[in-house]
Amino acid sequence: MEEFVGLERGVAMFGGLVVGTTALTALINDWQATGLDNNVTKLMLGLMVVGCVLVVLTAFHALGAPSV
Amino acid sequence: MAVGAIVHGTPSDAHDEPVDSLYAETRDMRLLGFVLFLISDVVLFSAFIFAYLYLRNSVPQWPPLGADGKQLPRFDTLFAAVNSVVLFGSGATMHFALESWKHGAKKAFNAWMASTIILGSLFLAGQAYEYIHAKVTWAGSTIGASFFTLTGMHGFHVLVGVIYLIVLMGQANSGVYTKLKHFGLTAGTLYWHFVDVIWVALFTLFYLI
Amino acid sequence: MAVAAPAHANYHDHIHPEPTNFVQKYIFSLDHKIIGIQYFITTFIFYCIAGLLAEVIRVQLLHPTGGFVSNEVYNQVYSVHGSAMVWLVIIPMLTGGFGNFVMPLMIGARDVAFPWLNMASFWMFPVAGALLFSSFLVGAPEAGWTEYPPISLQGPPGTSLWCMAIFLVGVSSTLTGINFLVTIMKMRAPGMTLTRMPLFVWAQLATAMLSMVATTALAGALLALFLERTFGVPFYDPSKGGSPLLWQHMFWFYSHPAVYIMILPAFGIVSEILPTFTRKPLFGYKAVAFSSVGIALVGFMVWAHHMFTSGMVPWLTLPFMILTFFVAVPTGVKVLAWIATLWGGRIRFTAAMLFSLGLIATFTLGGITGVFLAAVPADLHEHGTYFVVAHFHYVLFGGSVFGIFAGMYFWWPKMTGKLMSERLAVAHFWATFIGFNLTFFPMHWLGLMGMPRRVPIYDQQFQSLNVLASIGSFILALSTLLFFANVAYSLTKGKKASSDPWGARTLEWMISSPPPYYNFKKIPSVLALPYDFGEPLPYVGGDLIRPNPQSKFAGE
Repeated sequence: MEEFVGLERGVAMFGGLVVGTTALTALINDWQATGLDNNVTKLMLGLMVVGCVLVVLTAFHALGAPSV
Repeated sequence: MAVGAIVHGTPSDAHDEPVDSLYAETRDMRLLGFVLFLISDVVLFSAFIFAYLYLRNSVPQWPPLGADGKQLPRFDTLFAAVNSVVLFGSGATMHFALESWKHGAKKAFNAWMASTIILGSLFLAGQAYEYIHAKVTWAGSTIGASFFTLTGMHGFHVLVGVIYLIVLMGQANSGVYTKLKHFGLTAGTLYWHFVDVIWVALFTLFYLI
Repeated sequence: MAVAAPAHANYHDHIHPEPTNFVQKYIFSLDHKIIGIQYFITTFIFYCIAGLLAEVIRVQLLHPTGGFVSNEVYNQVYSVHGSAMVWLVIIPMLTGGFGNFVMPLMIGARDVAFPWLNMASFWMFPVAGALLFSSFLVGAPEAGWTEYPPISLQGPPGTSLWCMAIFLVGVSSTLTGINFLVTIMKMRAPGMTLTRMPLFVWAQLATAMLSMVATTALAGALLALFLERTFGVPFYDPSKGGSPLLWQHMFWFYSHPAVYIMILPAFGIVSEILPTFTRKPLFGYKAVAFSSVGIALVGFMVWAHHMFTSGMVPWLTLPFMILTFFVAVPTGVKVLAWIATLWGGRIRFTAAMLFSLGLIATFTLGGITGVFLAAVPADLHEHGTYFVVAHFHYVLFGGSVFGIFAGMYFWWPKMTGKLMSERLAVAHFWATFIGFNLTFFPMHWLGLMGMPRRVPIYDQQFQSLNVLASIGSFILALSTLLFFANVAYSLTKGKKASSDPWGARTLEWMISSPPPYYNFKKIPSVLALPYDFGEPLPYVGGDLIRPNPQSKFAGE
């Protein structure tokens, strides 16, 4: 898999940033919404943003084991 | 005496479906039931996460030693990161699918739904790739046991989710849902977000720490 | 008092139509009342099977050298007895049976929130029962109802069937919990705020929360055990890096709350019966209601008190010991409230009342021995002895099963429209009470003298007490026949029951016995708690049957 490491890093970095930003925007747009479904959605979007942050940090080798 | 005015579970959750109270009450109950189901599912995952952390803490080093006495390798973080992006991306597209439906944009809904289904399938393919190339086995070590059981359970949920989304897309296009009444789509979105969120936990637990 | 129709009447008018053919009406019924009765029939059959297994244990222990069954079969018998009584009898009867039949009526609903789910949950039970009992054909589980690995990993093939059966019960229990939570939260009659709910509904609410959250943890533990037995996936086997203690943590994380799943509805039943037969409001309604939730919450944080002798990290024993002591506080609140309710009441000693009083007495004894066992120094001595067996039978038989019989006698007229014979019922109570205490009280001594549990043979010195216990268990078994005789009598020759034979005031007594398919033609509105005897009924609207204040109550 060594030959793809650069590509993987790129996808993780770029994708993580795009998805994270999108999720954050959706979260901010939904912030005022009430109701059980919206509240659960907000919680889950928030956790998704965290996930994207983790992915981006991984791509920068700030987290996780060095790639094989 | 206005007894009827005594507050009884006002359907406040039904803000986007104010039309007739009959549907609002039913939607209210279904929504609560569905969220409770997701909570109980979280507990199921938590049980195995507890098992993983317990087994992890009961040995001096992690990953544990294999049968040959050598320390087992860690999982490939970067590939999992890419796969995570795919799954999280599908969560975002699902969110937009529901938003477009609420705004009556049927074409956009179909496009977002299709991309969600494709991204979900792509994630499953990625997981299959990872399973094939994994350096630990299910029955061979505690790390393999936890990894394959937890990600397998998660993958099963994703698989069910992909099928569920296909069904929902078909239903939506055959007129089962309207702009105001679409609890099935709401539940599908919640389920899909739930699958994402579980993956955040699994990604952290198996690849990052 | 002119009352406007409740704003959400639309919803209540919308319900599935009454089926006309036999299969839809009585077999795959969606009606909560029929499903409740289905639970009762199934669980009483399981009760008899599991009770007979208990008699096998007692016959074996008549003699120090045993000899009635082989040692392996003996292990299988007590394992299946325990599993069946916990998962196939007490939990489904109290939640599926009483919860289904009584709870929707009490809150003024026409059914539970998800009738189809309710039916599916029920039908998992006969399947689970068949799986569990058929395990005898291939070698039943041998490691006790707790199935600790590594013994359960090496157990006979039936252990895997046990895993499947209990997993199925777990799924059913979770779904019922979700169903009841939504029902209670969303379907109460107008005006029935949380603090106007009958106490049985509070108990069901706390129970539903417990079964919804805790049961999937058990499902995880069982799945892991099943995978390890079938595919060798290492979770529990220490030789492959697993940990037997892991099972104990996961198992007790569910199974200790399960103890409260088994006792809280019984408490709820007693809290309904005591006001009715003392003609007094229950003392400290809010305290009793919140103590149910309190027990449920604390119950999640005490599981490791089952593991004091398992080699758990020593410093953890102290917090678990102290937290366990805290469970006694809300429980004590309940017992005190019950006794205060009796104080100065006009008590009628009906069978339902006698079983409730029996519960208060025997459960309190079981609760006190529970505090002994929670104390680490005492537990180190008593763990794994017959003292533990005595303790949990005082809690589960003297608590839950007494509650079940109290509830059966109380709600039987509502379920069937027929009265039972009070004389036979009172005889049943005394036979049960005497048989029960004769069986299980000697076990306290046996345990303190050092007789270990789960043994097919024992030291000569324990024989006389064991014979006493066995005689008691035979009385207990025969006493159950009195109950079934009463059932047969009531169904064939029993007098017709009025809508409210006991003079109770909760909503289920305000409609005919048995209730019509729709329960309430019009949903009534609730103005206050139902327990203020002597005051006008706190309901307006609906087409409720008002009991005649001059009528003579049955059993008086």
